[in-house]
Amino acid sequence: MTYDPIKLEIFKHLFAAIADEMGTLLRKSSYSPNIKERRDFSCAIFDSSGRLISQAAHIPVHLGAMPLAVTAIQQHFKTDLHPGDVVILNDPFRGGTHLPDITLVSPVYLSPNNDLSTPPVLIGYAASRAHHADIGGIAPGSMPLANEIFQEGLIIPPVKLVRSGDIDRGILDLILANVRTPHERHGDLLAQLAANRRGAARLQELFQRYGSTETNEASTALLAYTERMTRHLLGNLPDGSYSFSDYLDDDGFSPQPVKLMVTITIAGETATVDFTGSAPQVKGSMNAVYAITLSAVYYTFRCLLGLDVPNNAGCLAPIQVIAPPASITNALHPAPVAGGNVETSQRLVDVLLGALAQACPSLIPAASQGTMNNITIGGALPQNALALKSGLAVGTQFAYYETLAGGTGARPTANGGSGVHSHMTNTLNTPVEALEYAYPLRVRKYALRINSGGNGLFHGGDGIIRELEVLTDCQLTLLTDRRRIPPYGVNGGEPGKCGINILLRNNKESQLPSKGTVDLQAGDIISIQTPGGGGWGRKPD
Amino acid sequence: MDSQTLRVGIDIGGTFTDFVLYNPSNREIQTHKVLSTPDDPSRAVLQGLKRLIPSSNVDKVSIVHGSTVATNALLERKGAPTALITTRGFADILQIGRQNRPALYDLFADPRPALVPPAFRFEVTERVNSAGEILIPLDDSEIEELILTISALDVRSVAVCLLFSFLHPSHEQRIGDRFRKAGFLVSLSSEIVPEFREYERTSTTVVNAYVSPIMDHYLHGLTSGLPRGYDLRVMQSNGGSISPQEARQKAVTCILSGPAGGIVGCQYMGHQVHGSESTIAPENGNEPFCENDIVRFLTFDMGGTSTDVSLIDGQPRITTESTISDCPIKIPVLDIHTIGAGGGSLASVDAGGALRVGPSSAGAVPGPACYGKGLLPTVTDANLVLGRLQPEFFLGGTMPLDYSRACNSMETIANQLGLSIEEAALGIVSIANAHMERALRVISVEQGQDPRDYTLLSFGGAGGLHASDLARGLGIQTILVPLFASTLSAFGMLTADIIKDYAITVLLPEDTPVRVLEERLSILADQGFRALISEGMSPDNILIQRSVDMRYQGQSYEMNTPFSSSLRQGFIEKHSAEYGYAKDTTPIEFVTLRVRAVGKIPSLPSRPLPLQSPDPAHARIDERKVRFSQEWSSTPLYRSELLTPGNVIPGPAILIRPDTTILIDPNDIARVDPFGNITIKVGL
Repeated sequence: MTYDPIKLEIFKHLFAAIADEMGTLLRKSSYSPNIKERRDFSCAIFDSSGRLISQAAHIPVHLGAMPLAVTAIQQHFKTDLHPGDVVILNDPFRGGTHLPDITLVSPVYLSPNNDLSTPPVLIGYAASRAHHADIGGIAPGSMPLANEIFQEGLIIPPVKLVRSGDIDRGILDLILANVRTPHERHGDLLAQLAANRRGAARLQELFQRYGSTETNEASTALLAYTERMTRHLLGNLPDGSYSFSDYLDDDGFSPQPVKLMVTITIAGETATVDFTGSAPQVKGSMNAVYAITLSAVYYTFRCLLGLDVPNNAGCLAPIQVIAPPASITNALHPAPVAGGNVETSQRLVDVLLGALAQACPSLIPAASQGTMNNITIGGALPQNALALKSGLAVGTQFAYYETLAGGTGARPTANGGSGVHSHMTNTLNTPVEALEYAYPLRVRKYALRINSGGNGLFHGGDGIIRELEVLTDCQLTLLTDRRRIPPYGVNGGEPGKCGINILLRNNKESQLPSKGTVDLQAGDIISIQTPGGGGWGRKPD
Repeated sequence: MDSQTLRVGIDIGGTFTDFVLYNPSNREIQTHKVLSTPDDPSRAVLQGLKRLIPSSNVDKVSIVHGSTVATNALLERKGAPTALITTRGFADILQIGRQNRPALYDLFADPRPALVPPAFRFEVTERVNSAGEILIPLDDSEIEELILTISALDVRSVAVCLLFSFLHPSHEQRIGDRFRKAGFLVSLSSEIVPEFREYERTSTTVVNAYVSPIMDHYLHGLTSGLPRGYDLRVMQSNGGSISPQEARQKAVTCILSGPAGGIVGCQYMGHQVHGSESTIAPENGNEPFCENDIVRFLTFDMGGTSTDVSLIDGQPRITTESTISDCPIKIPVLDIHTIGAGGGSLASVDAGGALRVGPSSAGAVPGPACYGKGLLPTVTDANLVLGRLQPEFFLGGTMPLDYSRACNSMETIANQLGLSIEEAALGIVSIANAHMERALRVISVEQGQDPRDYTLLSFGGAGGLHASDLARGLGIQTILVPLFASTLSAFGMLTADIIKDYAITVLLPEDTPVRVLEERLSILADQGFRALISEGMSPDNILIQRSVDMRYQGQSYEMNTPFSSSLRQGFIEKHSAEYGYAKDTTPIEFVTLRVRAVGKIPSLPSRPLPLQSPDPAHARIDERKVRFSQEWSSTPLYRSELLTPGNVIPGPAILIRPDTTILIDPNDIARVDPFGNITIKVGL
């Protein structure tokens, strides 16, 4: 034992409280339903060398990816960071994940020993990442069927949005001029700035209260602690190599399924997670950047660790992740990546769990719905909606984004969950009444999709059905999967049902593709039916 | 209420049912405890009343009663079978909820099943839009069919929640009328909580339908057992009381009444202490609680398995976002933050070598190791090992604690960590304190409040041992431990006003004329006023508070702001204070209008006793070695009941009461105020 076990526990709370508080503030003060109602954001703090110390339990897909944002700004700015600076970025190839996720990183400084006459030194970073409902590009919502990233939206490399405490109006105006809902973006960015400020202030208070030596020792000890927990977990898994593969339906351009493959090798207290054998990067946006693949690995092992372990860099320390460059698991510039973040990430977890089910079958469920069913609807607000807001109109465009829940995989001890988000996301739905008030849309049905879960000793959870009528001409973008290849069952359990996307126009039904952009007419109804989870074990006769 | 009426507050707890009685003729306050009778809680109530009030010499008694009947029905899922009727296409909203899962990294966690199973969920063809216009009218024949279908089930209670019913309630009302005529108990969402966000509204309405029949049955039994002349009122979670007739139909408002009573009790303590400033002789060193006239408390109620904290800044904070037993409840309730840390929290060492305290608890069975049954160490055991708890005085000496069992339990932990027993015990206490400090920060710092501006009000059995360390960690200078600490909740019920909350979601733009808002608010205010009059309140004692939930246009989270002619200004100021920024030019919108109608109950006159000598020697019973955070100190023990107003007790000291033990740190000084409360000046 090298560190005081009591201080360890106390500092765990202190650090976790900072990230939690940032999250509460961001949620309450942000503008868009996407952040506020759906909670599609994460907040974290880092030590002065950029190691993740604490991340609030918000969105798993941000987990492994946040540290790369800090690394990116360290590499980009080197010594050119100063008190009061805030760096903004969304470039997936430089610290981001996909373009709608905008990350703000604040370096945090403090004068040593509270002596204001000495120059402040870097004590850490506070960072927030939020999914913005639109960041420009060829389709509202910025998750289009694209074949290069330039079509997906505005790319923001690491730049200073705030210099020594002053917002750079030029940068802000440039961003706002490139998005469909500038007013909303402005409000959300202000909320992110407020959250970062709060996190920075709390980190400073912590250093003032306990001193930098003790605080730094504590953060290092917490990293070592989480690493010990991971090593303990790996040590209890049987040594060996476990491979699994599964396929995405398509990339939106060609009907060819896209292979995802992993080989997990457990050796003592370490693991190697190797995605060699996965498909090369694709033309459409299903490409995952390395940060996303890392997040999927992080999430999967974090689930096995137990509830109360701090989310920090120690979790991945004993795990080596190999993702071949230019593959679907480590795409290179200028590949489009919007779907890698929301779809491929989700499926990577099912592939990882498929491999782990061979190592520890009693801990692993069957496949969950394996998609987030991203739907984006946007366009011009109709005249009557503008009139309703009586001269206070805050824009003439709208962009509605939502992900839909489905079934989760059956477990070795219980049925799967129905109508619930799984794995890499946990965003809330937009309430029907909030949605209809804000957008020219009407929800016709929101219900469980009965019997869509796979049969088995334990059956998979059911998906849902969400039917939306559009009240104005607009554009729909679908980014969904598991429309052709169903969620797998485990140990003799049957697969869950595939999802279906349907358009009802003039009382005529037609099936929509899993991915793509469609022009809708007022009165059109779209019905999204999400996949069920796989079953576990053979159903008794 | 006439001036000769006896007043009684009654709080039913898991172990004891507490009574506080005020007799206006001699201005005396009496407290009383009887063992609770969980199979039929009214038995303990009637027993206690009989013992407390000899029937011969009274003819009028006014009771305010906090009941756990509704709470337990919900927690134990023992409510009435309930049917739910929704707009066609939306019967599953109750189950889907917000589509999120309860634990992010737990593949095996499941939420509790919905209160209404699928077979009891029904749909009607109808639809209202976001402007309150009817898109699809409701057909009466469908209602009749539903009555037939539901009559065939074993269901008496029906919840109805239709989309946008807060804008256009007539569809719900028609369904309600027909079902009520057919003999069902009906909860309409447009009556229970006419606010937007369909899942939370449905959940609240369903909880009401689920617990009201149980409450109805209970209150029927209780009122019929009361002697003539006894008037009963029921405590609500918003800090006020309502009539039993209303409680039987709106039992959801009573779900958290016990803790709410505690907060109202705290508020009363604040007024008592404030009102008494002039009576405190400055030479005794008592200082006023705050510079201005605002009561500012962080309340801290540490029990065996959990700790409740809340913030009172003049008024207690109200929230409409509580969730109980996985059910969102969207009515105004006092904002109480609960964490799973208490005296019985278990300590353990995890696989990574960290010392953990909680969240699992030794509970009542087996209890802490020193109670004689359990083997695992708890916070209580740690306090005993450190000499902070005295084994022979626990619960007034009725339950001696086993010191050697506490040491043995601690030894396992100490060995695993390579620490001494004493170091392990200190560690357990500091970690428990870290949990509680975090909870106190959530309700203060995170809300833009500085804990240094507050007094820590400690009640609950285990709080007195931890209050001083917590105060120091938060920079709080003063601690108050009320004389009636263990019956504070019943005390609060005795002093609680009658409170009725009304709300309506309007979703109106900023350029709506103030007159329109005023008109809509006055409809609610009239409703409240009339309801209070009909309960016998005199108009002079009625207070109407108006407020508006507002947000920037496009935001989806509202902020409650008192109604005034400068609503925008009020909103911007509050937004800046809580969130650290505000936008000057962005339009705002008015989302929900709220009215709180308060019927003031005459407050209890205080009876300060004259201050006497500061010397507490007469209450001193012994001297013991006690381990404080710095070192072991030889520490005098005092019997708190023997202390007299004006006594000054410098730390280190231990004050022993039958219900709690108060630890005075070597840097602190305790004083007894004119009411018998203990105030502690915290040294740094």
